[in-house]
Amino acid sequence: MSKNKEKGLYLSDRPPLTPVKAVLLTISYILLFFYVFIIVWPLAQIVFSSFNGNQGEYIHVGGAYQFSLKHFKYLFQETYFLNWVINTIVIAVATALLTLLFVSFTGYAYSRYRFKGRKASLMAIMLIQTIPAFVGIAAYYTMHSIISAVIPGFTRQMFLILIYAGGGIAGNTFILKGYIDSISSELDDAARIDGCGNLQVYRLIIMPIVRPMLAIIALWSFIGPFLDYLMPSILLSDPKQYTLATGLYTLITDVRNMHQPVFAAGGLLTAIPIIILFIALQKQLVSGLASGAVKG
Amino acid sequence: MRYGTTIMDDIGNEHPRRNLRLAERGALEERLESEPKEKAAQIKGELKSLPRKEHDYEKKFAKVRAEEKAFLAKASERKTTFEGSLADSDPTIRKWKLEAMESRARAEFYAPHADLSYDFELLAEQHRMIAEQLPAIADTRRETLDALDAAKADLEAAKKEDHSQANADFRRLRKERLKQRGEEKAALRKLYKSGQISSKAYVNEKHQKDLAAAEDIRSMKQSLKINMLADRVRYLKHRLKQDKKQGIAVLNSDISDLRRKTPIEVTKRCPWISYLTFPLPGLGQLLLGQTFKSIFFFIGSLYIYLIAIPYALGRGNYRGQGLFGLVSLAEGASRLDRSVIFMIEGVIAIILLLIAFLIYYNSFRDVNRNEKKMISGIRLNNWFETKTAAKHKGFPYFASSPSALVTLFIVLLPIAVTVLISFTNYDPTHQSKFNWIGLANYKQIILGQGIAGGPFWLITGWTLIWTLFATSLAIFVGFVLALLVNQDRVYGKRFFRTIYLLPWAVPAFITIMFFSIMFSPNGPLTALLQQLTGQVINIKESPWGTRIVLILLQGWLGSSYVFLLCTGILQSIPKDLYEAANIDGATGFQQTRHITIPILLFQTAPLMIGQYTFNFNNFSIIYLFNGGGPFEPSKYGNLAGSSDLLISYIYKLTIQKQFQGIGAAITMIVSLVLIFFTWIGFSRSKSFREEKL
Repeated sequence: MSKNKEKGLYLSDRPPLTPVKAVLLTISYILLFFYVFIIVWPLAQIVFSSFNGNQGEYIHVGGAYQFSLKHFKYLFQETYFLNWVINTIVIAVATALLTLLFVSFTGYAYSRYRFKGRKASLMAIMLIQTIPAFVGIAAYYTMHSIISAVIPGFTRQMFLILIYAGGGIAGNTFILKGYIDSISSELDDAARIDGCGNLQVYRLIIMPIVRPMLAIIALWSFIGPFLDYLMPSILLSDPKQYTLATGLYTLITDVRNMHQPVFAAGGLLTAIPIIILFIALQKQLVSGLASGAVKG
Repeated sequence: MRYGTTIMDDIGNEHPRRNLRLAERGALEERLESEPKEKAAQIKGELKSLPRKEHDYEKKFAKVRAEEKAFLAKASERKTTFEGSLADSDPTIRKWKLEAMESRARAEFYAPHADLSYDFELLAEQHRMIAEQLPAIADTRRETLDALDAAKADLEAAKKEDHSQANADFRRLRKERLKQRGEEKAALRKLYKSGQISSKAYVNEKHQKDLAAAEDIRSMKQSLKINMLADRVRYLKHRLKQDKKQGIAVLNSDISDLRRKTPIEVTKRCPWISYLTFPLPGLGQLLLGQTFKSIFFFIGSLYIYLIAIPYALGRGNYRGQGLFGLVSLAEGASRLDRSVIFMIEGVIAIILLLIAFLIYYNSFRDVNRNEKKMISGIRLNNWFETKTAAKHKGFPYFASSPSALVTLFIVLLPIAVTVLISFTNYDPTHQSKFNWIGLANYKQIILGQGIAGGPFWLITGWTLIWTLFATSLAIFVGFVLALLVNQDRVYGKRFFRTIYLLPWAVPAFITIMFFSIMFSPNGPLTALLQQLTGQVINIKESPWGTRIVLILLQGWLGSSYVFLLCTGILQSIPKDLYEAANIDGATGFQQTRHITIPILLFQTAPLMIGQYTFNFNNFSIIYLFNGGGPFEPSKYGNLAGSSDLLISYIYKLTIQKQFQGIGAAITMIVSLVLIFFTWIGFSRSKSFREEKL
């Protein structure tokens, strides 16, 4: 600041920095870095302990550190980790695709068509959306045994996919409907005059415009199964069928299976792709959440 | 209903009756209403004495009908004579020409009788239209077919020619174009290296050049003679198909216009078909002459009589007895027949019956409405019109029906079952067979009695404390961080934002489980606490220790999301607000207090409410951190731990401890409260009030 005065010019468009402000700024930096430490320390522990070969079944911090990949080796050789990854990805992809399929149709129909029962069913959708997913837990298990008696090849994982996708219909329909509402219907009127049918209007006109929102819906439906513990823990009983959340949990609760550093290794491998996804797409993800709440 | 002297068409125009017998009746009936009562008896007498079959009109009409029959019987004769005069070989054109000739004959036949009945008028007009339009469509088709044949011949001839010269030319041109692209790219690289264009512009421009070159090469390829000819063949084939479709569609919609303008006269006065046929959807449509439509309703009938009703009566169930299962709940049945199965199948039966009822209702309404239309003079839709209407009006139903079915069976069915279970004594001693016990579960919960209901209020209290503190902490931390990071003078914004995002980006179950490990008796954080305080503090063994750590942990986890949201909003606040404040002499603190915070609060409020409901149901953190523990049997009994929330308590009751009845009752209470609060949030939100529902 003094330099600026010597030059006789103050070129910044901000007001000059006063001593009080300098102190406040320093405090801000201290707080910010303190919180950086609070966030990074535990996460760093996961990374360190997953590579620390000097641990057995329990995690130690502060002891001797010896770099080793033995926990990762154990993870791939002695646990069903690969099965869990594949299960989770299959469930997540199927959920995302199924949700997109359902929601594309309903969102388009509710936004662009005026039909009998529309208002009532929209109300119903809003109500259903507010009912928490855990309400049905008492019935799911028995429901699955009934369905699989009728359709023999119907596995628990398929049921899980249906529950995820079905549970997402109501909320996502509302989000997509709101988004399509914001697109002027002159475009589809023009397409209709040119001879497009209902589905063509959706495929050629609406879908390209709502693609960002569809991507967000797909993304959230895809991430959901990675983060959920409750549903798979109710439905899946065979460790080979587990998803990542239920599978990794066995590594820290099951006494026979207890290997905390291996859990850290598995957690690290699970977290890295998701972190990359979140950091790369943070804007889209946040706007998806926000539109869900605001439009809802 | 009375006949009246006029009838109404679909557009709303009135037409005089052409059926003179009905017109006379109608006139008399009108007089009966309008004239004084003394004359009523006389008019009624006249009405009675009106001839029916012996009426002049009816006789004339019957004669024409007989002529018509004879005329139509000769159709095949006419066909053979027409066929002789046809020269074209294309079957479609032959068919159309034949139809046009037959239509001309019919139009000539019906035209003189048009005054007798609207049916004849319609037939005459309709056949005149066909006779006019079909030959034109056929001629266009002939032209296209000739062009197609010529194009095919050209293509064949071209295939035999030598193309090596043309191909070589193409390859040379392509090479040149690719070379040109290379040069353009090199020039771009130069510009980029010398700093004249940014890296983003460089990448974009490069992409543009690629696209332009690909486009040029494609058009070069297309202009090769053989490709052009092949394209022409393809195009003509497409035209052939399109012209056929469009020509027929135009003809059909012209006929449909005619049908809308020409009324119909029927002798019936009461929509009796709809009343008589409602038990069998499809029959009514068939009787009214809508054959194709009736097929769809007959499929509905099949569903009703082969699936819905037998299932509701107990046929084809997995184990249950359809609707009766809801009453009996498998009482007295074998050991494998569990009550809950009977209950679920009962609910399925109800859903199936509801769908069946919907089909009944729609079919009845359809027939009833159509009959009433006919009585008033409106012609029913033919199949072309029904199809067109169904395409637009039916689309939303068609499009949302799969979602509706999935929602019905995967979402609503379990909810209904949970509601029902909450009225039963489904507990460890009644796992296989349970009974209806009314509101006893709710009573136990509200009064805090029994092993399962006892800790309810304690848990509710902790759930409320948890929701309030954990969420508020996360919001506060996220808020403050966002304000700090987004100060003008703070550098490294990107770094801070990325780091602060991490707790949100790392899957919560991993961090929660890891914190759980770190707080275990020989975990690192327990050791750290011991070093700091000099005492052995086992967090997981102390109820308040666990609770406080849980709240802090959720603050850690939840602040990221709040931080992200607030950052987004802070960036979107227009800068001129601050400039104006600066000019008015506001200090930084005042600006934050009067501009930033109000905007932030206002815009994030609905999302923050969502955070409270999220934490109210935050099962993972409670269950994965300490399993809801530590246990305090003296206060909580054996079923719940001291950090259990209502949701994890429900999970334990339902999944682990087999107190499904009480679990369901608690679920109901919790859900109703949640629905109530979210509903309030919804109904106050702007989008809901402004929604053009």
